[in-house]
Amino acid sequence: MGSLVLEALAKRYGTSVAVERVDLEVRQGEMVALLGPSGCGKTTTLRMVAGFVAPSAGRVLIGGADVTQMPPHARDTGMVFQSYALFPHMTVAANVAFGLEMRRVGRAERDTRVREALRLVRLDGLEDRLPRQLSGGQQQRVALARALVVNPAVFLLDEPLSNLDAKLRGEVRMEIRALQQRLGLTTLIVTHDQEEALTMADRLVVMERGRVRQVGTAEELYESPADPFVAGFVGQCNLVEGALEGTGVFRAASGALLACAATPPPPGRHVLALRPERIEVTPAADGPARLRAVTYLGPLTEYHLDLDGTPLLAIRPTPTAGEPSRLMSAGDAVTLSWDASAARLLSAAQPGQT
Amino acid sequence: MAALVLPAGLLVALLLVAPMLLLFRISLNEYSPTEMMREATTAANYLRAVGDPYYRSVLLTTLTVALGSTLLTLGLGFPTAYWLARMESRWKSFATIVVMFPLLVGNVVRAAGWLALLGNGGAINASLLGLGLISAPLPLIYNTGAVVVGIVAVVLPYMVLTLSAVIESIPRNVEEAASNLGAPSWTVFRRVVLPLALPGVAAGSVLVFVLCMNTYASAVLLGGPRFKMMAPAVYDQFVRGNNWPFGAALAFILLTITLVLTVLGSAALGRRYRRPKEELS
Ligand SMILES: Nc1ncnc2c1ncn2[C@@H]1O[C@H](COP(=O)(O)OP(=O)(O)OP(=O)(O)O)[C@@H](O)[C@H]1O
Ligand SMILES: [Mg+2]
Repeated sequence: MGSLVLEALAKRYGTSVAVERVDLEVRQGEMVALLGPSGCGKTTTLRMVAGFVAPSAGRVLIGGADVTQMPPHARDTGMVFQSYALFPHMTVAANVAFGLEMRRVGRAERDTRVREALRLVRLDGLEDRLPRQLSGGQQQRVALARALVVNPAVFLLDEPLSNLDAKLRGEVRMEIRALQQRLGLTTLIVTHDQEEALTMADRLVVMERGRVRQVGTAEELYESPADPFVAGFVGQCNLVEGALEGTGVFRAASGALLACAATPPPPGRHVLALRPERIEVTPAADGPARLRAVTYLGPLTEYHLDLDGTPLLAIRPTPTAGEPSRLMSAGDAVTLSWDASAARLLSAAQPGQT
Repeated sequence: MAALVLPAGLLVALLLVAPMLLLFRISLNEYSPTEMMREATTAANYLRAVGDPYYRSVLLTTLTVALGSTLLTLGLGFPTAYWLARMESRWKSFATIVVMFPLLVGNVVRAAGWLALLGNGGAINASLLGLGLISAPLPLIYNTGAVVVGIVAVVLPYMVLTLSAVIESIPRNVEEAASNLGAPSWTVFRRVVLPLALPGVAAGSVLVFVLCMNTYASAVLLGGPRFKMMAPAVYDQFVRGNNWPFGAALAFILLTITLVLTVLGSAALGRRYRRPKEELS
């Protein structure tokens, strides 16, 4: 058990940069998700923690001790691989017992702990199967049990759910989270599925091109994104380019005028960020906006809008049969309204880029 | 399908089995100095081969040299195959060609090469003599060691290529998982890589063992006149002695022993591979 600290961690392959700089602290018992588009360096970061990739710069500290130079087997991490990486020639029980054997745990205790771990992941009764005799979901749980049984100081998961179907993914997600909380495991999980990150992790790290963009709770990232990339990556967001016209008024590049927060804007050029669920759409014959398309999603309905040349997306609870907005269809003129404070001004210049 | 399989099957049978049957038939004949051989059905040739201490020692030498060379080849080939299989850079195909390169040179030419290197007037002895480090040539040639070196150099590529194909099919992640769970590299090798590579070890060893048992050029050129293995002995009977029946019997003994050992060996390895529970203890 212990905390995990990454200090200015970087990895370069020749001239190409896989991870430019990651600073991060995962507290004891906390679950942090690395989130970001493909190729942003999530796996590389995780593998530097496990010791499979030697960092080009920076340090990794586990429980306060610098492990940067230690080989993987000397670091107390438990990793769950995307492809599970079970030992194909060993039974389920032997797979799970492997880490305990390496730690020279006595036979009796080993058997007890293996049984316990398999019960924890609800695989009791399958001890003597070989991995190839298990379903994908079962293999995934063996991988979990194998990593958990040794009580690692740091629990590492690389897209552990990407090979499961949607329903199973939802279940296993809750299971992992429950286990992690129950065992108080310091956990770093890699995912590019933001729903996964939002539902499982205490805090999220949004990465882009080898750099950390923002670290925070799901709510912090969603409600106060640091830049347009985070706003667009975490949840859906209307990002409108343009310039501040006066206090509380933003002029989009297309010429449309939009109400925005009156708070003092950050310096430089701006992007207006407005969550689709914050836009209210009302039918009005002389309204300034036009409805391009309506997509019915069951409990919610998506409205694709055009405000003087600026495309906007609104997502509202699907109106009930009696409501006038129920009858809106493509081509209708509408009025849009939102709470000015919901339209946040973000700095258009992204850090490190000009 | 059957229309294609049948003629192909017949052709293979003709190419592989027919010479064997013919050989077996010849081995039952009687030798006659005047008419070469006489039709007969006798076990005399086999009894002579088994009873003669000379041929027993030839057989023993063949087995020892073949077994030793196979083990040495395995020991040298495994690390090389592992290195080749796990190579990621663009040099990989180049390295593969380098490994295969010796196959481009025929056995006889290669043995002649070793002769030029190890012989009494060869490169090594000449240099050492020239430097005054030794006063008489070192006995680097015409001994079992020289034969083994020659054989290993011939069969190593087969071992490396067979093994590296199997090692490549072992996911890297599986090794990483083992070291992540606390296994040092040697344990990763012993508990994960080796058991998973056993089918390749079996295939490579069988292939190499068969080649070693039938060594000819290396035995003749590097072993010298007094060193005898089975294949040259068979050749002697057919060509020098003109005793076809006895030569055929020797060949058949060589074939049978090779076959039996090969089957036993791969069965033993196969059983180990299929018993995953052993890994627990
Ligand atoms: N061994 C390597 N040699 C060269 N470049 C590499 C190597 N491993 C990774 N990279 C590069 O580093 C960058 C980050 O890779 P990484 O696997 O960490 O991305 P990721 O965030 O995990 O992406 P994904 O979501 O697709 O898994 C990529 O551009 C990748 O091409
Ligand atoms: Mg990845």
